[in-house]
Amino acid sequence: MDELDILKKDWQKEDSRYPKLSYNDIYVMILKKSSSIVKWIFIISIIEFVFWTVISFALKDAEFNKKFESYNAGNIMIPFMVLGYLILAYFFYKFFMNYRTISVTDNAKRLMENILKTRRTVKQYVAFNLIYLVVSAFLVLGIEFNRDETLIATVNKAAADGELFKFYAVTILATTFVLAVIIGLFLVFYYLIYGLLLKRLNTNYKELKKLEV
Amino acid sequence: MTKELEHSFVEQLEQHQNIVHKVCRLYTNNQDAHNDLFQEITIQLWKAYPKFRGDSKFSTWMYRVSLNTAITLYRKSKRNINTQDIDGIQYKIKSEPYDDTEEQQLKLLYNAVHQLNDIEKALVFLYLEDKNYNEISETLGISEVNARVKMNRVKTKLKTILNP
Repeated sequence: MDELDILKKDWQKEDSRYPKLSYNDIYVMILKKSSSIVKWIFIISIIEFVFWTVISFALKDAEFNKKFESYNAGNIMIPFMVLGYLILAYFFYKFFMNYRTISVTDNAKRLMENILKTRRTVKQYVAFNLIYLVVSAFLVLGIEFNRDETLIATVNKAAADGELFKFYAVTILATTFVLAVIIGLFLVFYYLIYGLLLKRLNTNYKELKKLEV
Repeated sequence: MTKELEHSFVEQLEQHQNIVHKVCRLYTNNQDAHNDLFQEITIQLWKAYPKFRGDSKFSTWMYRVSLNTAITLYRKSKRNINTQDIDGIQYKIKSEPYDDTEEQQLKLLYNAVHQLNDIEKALVFLYLEDKNYNEISETLGISEVNARVKMNRVKTKLKTILNP
């Protein structure tokens, strides 16, 4: 008889060793709120969608952007913004569809996969936003160099002084640095929030996947 | 309608509550954590109950939801500090009077099971509940062959833990 069978014998004894909850104890429990990771992922994801939507609206109304409109760069910026909204709608739809497939009555592996898939949609949306941010930043920089009179004057002055290359290099490096810091902060935030929230799920999912090899 | 649903659910859970207690026993190490996990499993069962069609037994359906909650959905509470050797205290191990050896052996066995990872515990749980490999594989979403192979590895691992 191996160890597990000894355990099984004890395990299956009709026992009174577990607490016996009454009808009312259980009734009170069903009225309480869940604190499952799916609920947290849902809340955090919605916050992320709202955050990025607010950011894009805020930027649209910013003083800076109003000045920008006077450059007649609408033919570039408007399609760029419409594209942004279309992509937001697409991700939001995909997120909800994935979220709806999460069912606690699926087998363990499928449940984990569906949670990770829902999570991945939001991750892709955020990655898209970060890329969008980088592309917009350089696009804006390019337009500024062509249309902003103060900047054009500075460029001309730098060219006259023979420091045109230095001027461009410093501007581009500074922009890259600021973007890198912003992206870095997001990554740290992500690592902390999702790293902690999904650590156990990821470990268990890997363990199940390992069984298939 | 909701009242009826509530009533039939609570009644069935009350009757089969030991399944949930047993899952909690394997996945937690102290009473607070046990209660916390029991609470979460109850909520998940209740949320899924309207879709329970009765084409499987209530208890079979409970196994799946309870295990899924324990290994996937549940966020371990801060109170769930990993304390060793609590099993014998928390659940009085029943054995013949004065049979210290058997009691000691069971205590060691329960402690060894607590050292397994979440998936291994799920396999052990289903095995202890006398589920066949087909049911184990369907609950976890792995093939039957892999369930058997893994079960053998778990047995070996338990032996190693017990006789290092």
